[in-house]
Amino acid sequence: MLRLPAFELREPRSLAEAVALLSEHGESAQLLAGGTDLVPNMKHELFTPKVVIALAGVPELHGVRVEPDGTLVLGALTTLDALAADARVRARAPALAQAASLVAGPQLRRMGTLGGNVMLDTRCQWYNQTYFWRSALGFCLKKDGTVCHVVAGGANCVAAASNDTAPALMSLDARLVLHGPAGRQELPIEELYTADGIHNKRVRGAILAEVRVPPVPEGHRGAYGKLRERGSIDFPLLGIAARLDLSPAGEVRAAALCAVALQARPLRLRKAVQPLLGQRTGTPGLAAAIDAAAELAHKQCHPLDNVPGEAEYRREMVPVYVRRTLRAALDGSGPVHHV
Amino acid sequence: MRVLELEVNGDRQEVAAPAHWSLLEVLRYRLGLTGSKQGCDKGDCGACTVLLEGQPVLACLTLAALCAGKRVTTIEGLMPAHLRAGGTGPDPVQAAFDRCGALQCGFCQPGMMLSARALLDANPSPSRAEIRAALAGNLCRCTGYTQILQAVELCIAEAAGSEPAAPAWAPGQNPWKAPCGNGDGRT
Amino acid sequence: MSARDVHGPAPPWSEGFRVVGRAQRKIDGLAKATGAALYTDDLVLPGMLHAKILRSTQAHARIRAIDAAAALALPGVHAVVTGRDMPVKYGVIPWTPDENALALDKVRFVGDEVAAVAAVDEDTANAALKLIRVDYEPLRAFLDPEEALATPEPQIHEQTPEQKAKEPRGNVSKHVRLEFGEVDAALAGSDVAVEGDYEFHGTTHTPIEPHCALAQYGADGVLTVWSSTQITHYVQKALARVLGLPEARVRVIQPCLGGAFGGKSDPFALEFVVAKLAMLTGRPVKCLWTREEVFYAHRGRHPMKLRYRTAAKRDGTLTAVDARILIDGGSYSSFGLVTTYYSGQLLTGPYHFPTYRFDSTRVFTNKPPCGPKRGHGSVQPRFAFEVQLDELAEKLGLDPLELRRRNFQGEHVKTVNGQRVTSNGFLQCLEAVERASRWKERRGRLGRGRGLGLAGSMYISGTNYPVYPNPMPQAGVQLKLDRSGLVTVFTGGNDIGQGSNTIARTIVAEELGLDPADVRVVAADTDLCPVDLGAYSSRVTFMVGNALIDACRKARAKLVTALAENWKVAPERIAFALGRATDRADPARSLDMRAVLQLAEARFDTLGETGAYNTPQLGGDYRGGTIGASPAYSFTAHVVEVTVDEETGRITVENCWIAHDCGRALNPMLVAGQIEGSAYMGIAEALLEDHGVNRFGLHRGPSLLDYRIPTSLDTPELHALIVESLDPEGPYGAKEAGEGPLHPSIPAISNAVHDAVGVRLRRLPFTPARVLAELRAARAEPRGARAAVLSAGGGEAC
Repeated sequence: MLRLPAFELREPRSLAEAVALLSEHGESAQLLAGGTDLVPNMKHELFTPKVVIALAGVPELHGVRVEPDGTLVLGALTTLDALAADARVRARAPALAQAASLVAGPQLRRMGTLGGNVMLDTRCQWYNQTYFWRSALGFCLKKDGTVCHVVAGGANCVAAASNDTAPALMSLDARLVLHGPAGRQELPIEELYTADGIHNKRVRGAILAEVRVPPVPEGHRGAYGKLRERGSIDFPLLGIAARLDLSPAGEVRAAALCAVALQARPLRLRKAVQPLLGQRTGTPGLAAAIDAAAELAHKQCHPLDNVPGEAEYRREMVPVYVRRTLRAALDGSGPVHHV
Repeated sequence: MRVLELEVNGDRQEVAAPAHWSLLEVLRYRLGLTGSKQGCDKGDCGACTVLLEGQPVLACLTLAALCAGKRVTTIEGLMPAHLRAGGTGPDPVQAAFDRCGALQCGFCQPGMMLSARALLDANPSPSRAEIRAALAGNLCRCTGYTQILQAVELCIAEAAGSEPAAPAWAPGQNPWKAPCGNGDGRT
Repeated sequence: MSARDVHGPAPPWSEGFRVVGRAQRKIDGLAKATGAALYTDDLVLPGMLHAKILRSTQAHARIRAIDAAAALALPGVHAVVTGRDMPVKYGVIPWTPDENALALDKVRFVGDEVAAVAAVDEDTANAALKLIRVDYEPLRAFLDPEEALATPEPQIHEQTPEQKAKEPRGNVSKHVRLEFGEVDAALAGSDVAVEGDYEFHGTTHTPIEPHCALAQYGADGVLTVWSSTQITHYVQKALARVLGLPEARVRVIQPCLGGAFGGKSDPFALEFVVAKLAMLTGRPVKCLWTREEVFYAHRGRHPMKLRYRTAAKRDGTLTAVDARILIDGGSYSSFGLVTTYYSGQLLTGPYHFPTYRFDSTRVFTNKPPCGPKRGHGSVQPRFAFEVQLDELAEKLGLDPLELRRRNFQGEHVKTVNGQRVTSNGFLQCLEAVERASRWKERRGRLGRGRGLGLAGSMYISGTNYPVYPNPMPQAGVQLKLDRSGLVTVFTGGNDIGQGSNTIARTIVAEELGLDPADVRVVAADTDLCPVDLGAYSSRVTFMVGNALIDACRKARAKLVTALAENWKVAPERIAFALGRATDRADPARSLDMRAVLQLAEARFDTLGETGAYNTPQLGGDYRGGTIGASPAYSFTAHVVEVTVDEETGRITVENCWIAHDCGRALNPMLVAGQIEGSAYMGIAEALLEDHGVNRFGLHRGPSLLDYRIPTSLDTPELHALIVESLDPEGPYGAKEAGEGPLHPSIPAISNAVHDAVGVRLRRLPFTPARVLAELRAARAEPRGARAAVLSAGGGEAC
């Protein structure tokens, strides 16, 4: 059996205790939520922490609630399964519920958490391998090595953000509440991610406590589209979250398109949504605008050969998935998935 | 080394294990409950699926130390639980997998049957699509899933008192119409 | 073949079958369902050590030195072994012994085994591996078979200077060229011909149970190895050879096995390693491979590049088939000699070939070694040929089903390459899938994006070529019958999940009139069971089944005699069924079979019988003519229904109808399971799976995350249809069901895609990207111009 490296396990019972443990052990500690990403990564010796801080016993990280203004507050330890099934989430954040419903497979969704997915390590075919495999390769820039194998001679790590919930949360303008030694910090999810595949989070040494999804208007529409090879288990080869906020008359007031599994940072496709604004449902104008958005998205998205699956094909699928996900959002269907 | 207090298949047990041991390792190598299988090492196949508080999870990714005080059910626990509840023989899911030929090499099936058990506990009459979705984290390499789906549907039909669908290979006769005896040919 | 080997398809008693032909539950079903069944890694022996294997980080290198001193010094480490500890070469095929338990002087792929450690626990063993230093001298690595073929040096398997002077072979593993009839003349005289290139990628078995072995070396010098093998007998022979022990001192036991599909047919490094380490340490030693290591062990489907030319008369009658095949063997021979023959020899049915030629070359490359995977050697040529048949049908303007029907070879015929075909239910298979899929009404009429495709195939039920030639039985069994009423079967046959022990119970219960629950089976233990050659080539039901009937008939005669004497009636009046004996002339008179066994034990003394089976002399009278010669062939036809998403290129198989002629279905539920599992595996190879290495020679993704086998959501509705042609030599007329039904899935999908969107997929796997590329190419070029259809010889297409 592939073994876990030895570590010391700590189980804090409060957020303050967890923060204190994290600041005490710093870089030699890893936070464990559902464990579905960290445990395989530890078995691959991508992480060999001295201390693992298991967060399951921290009460502040649990629970879903709706604040009086309609803000949806999701505890970081909400499982993906619970998130996908939660009526409040499905109503207020359909793209998020759909994205959560397509992460990995049934058992992993039951174990994996929203916080874990938001904080997911970037992935790459040259990186997510055993120690033996990586040693035979001579390692890579992201871990133990000096060279990137995705782009020959590449000086930057381009491992891919592979978290389905990230683009959905971005499309919803979600905000993250983090707790660190300096106290509570709140930031838009977009500001969390950087373009550095080695560590694509701007914040270190803090614990994600909750995710806040601002209220959406009455005419909010959202959907998530996921390209992967199998109908289950697989990480995204491409993920597209779409948002359309419609006026009572059916006019697109606001729109968002966000994509994942391209590069280290989940992307917001700002230009691509422009043609959609002001269009009205049921008109040829909107149909044409969706096509235009798909083409603009295609121009903006350049997948690399980081995750398995040919980059050229994944790029070709960008407009297809943008179109389909926008349409699914409009007609209240989705997720866009091949099974 | 920690001493963990686990509740496995209804028994509270103390077991010593290092902190980095998975639940699967503790079940197999400390408690001798080898019915939970190890197929892929790291959460890709579902063979190690056990029920934690009644929910299917992957024992190979679960730290044993974090299961203290939680109910763990392994495949070995299904039949005794069924007997305790006044049933006879194995759990209906186990019996149906056997009757439908779903156990070829049998290696993925403890996990598969626990996923199926949890599905039927939550939803006594899932559609075929729902069954497929619920079992989509358990890889089987032998059956092509057909006899597995038939077994779950046999459970559903018998619980509802209706007739299970006949398979394509038995035109004009239904091998699952009546419950089988003890593995004999007189059904 | 003697009289003991042929029993005919009908029972010799008048009442017909009472157990055979019914959906019997499996003998080990409930043990597996309740978690009680013990697989190799479930076994623990007192004082057991754990072994781990150090693997090569180099694709091709000479080993200059290995320094294991630091590993040996690590507390908890009991022994370290390297290739020098086991220098004797072996190979599953005795003519090509090119493997060492651990690399002796060279490594040949990334993952090749170099050294092994036994330690008190797995963590210590792993830590010790990291302390072993190997000094490599890298050599040029070959990842591409064409490059390896064109480059004789460096040789992946070096010849001695004398060998090289006599017959330099470069990096060729095996070359076979056979021609039957005048192919060139037939081509020249044909009305129409099609020619094309096809490519089959690598795939691997992926049993869910990783390989595992456990060894104990007794103070009495007896070595016992429990292994997840599908061929105990060959493992016993290989262990004896490499470890220098008499075969009688080596006991190999196969516990419950978690899937194999051909991937557990070779002797593997871990079996030698645990044995050697147990001998060195005096402790039991276990080695369980990680999933990654299973991918390095591989022995999976050989990638092949195939060029076919098929010619026909205007009415569709085939006149010539000409094949040229390049086989990528990976780093060792394994079963490669057989693979090379099978790539040509197994294509000559279910259609009549008047002339046939194949030229197959297997080359070594620095990749995980290929070997036998379900449908060994014949799935790849079947893919190419069945796609080409559809191309021919298109050119002739014939329904592909009609083309196949017209070329049906018939029953009881000899093929062009000298193989004897007995029962042949292929036409019934065609009819069954035609009807079930509503082929006539629906093919070509489902609208763009949806289509039906067809393919056929045949496969062997065992082969008369035992891996090592010998005049002894290929299958032997023993029966123990006693006064308790229990009959125990002892068979060397390996139940690898396919249900062969259940079939043994079925046959014995039928023959001796027992309740199946009163028959138990002890299998795959070389100390307890007579020799059987194991679970490969789809041989177990056919051969062990015949051996069992042989043994049972002898036992039955004694039971009948004892009871007839006791009842003072003629033996013809005695009938046995389902646990009771009755008097045919006086049905009110009956006796429990337990009492009958007691009468017989009193009359004949302790009861036991042996039974055996050997194939008849079969095969063509030429070198290699016996390879692929089988006492009976199974036949299959598939129709698949696909949808093609022209925007994403994704193919979805919606339905798969599989009609398989398995002779008599001894247990239709198990037959259906084999049919469905085979079709699933073929569909998976076509659409998802791809086993290969990256540009550095590293496995592209040795995990069940990256090597994607289908989930329940990726598997279509599979409709198993059983055709029973009743073979004259099979046990009750039975033939194989475990491998044949895989073959047509793959070409049938290609043919269905053509029906759906008009493009021909000739390269595997059928990835969405490839489908899109084909669709683009088809749009760019006028219809027909692109099809790789060349006219040959005198004729022009109709």
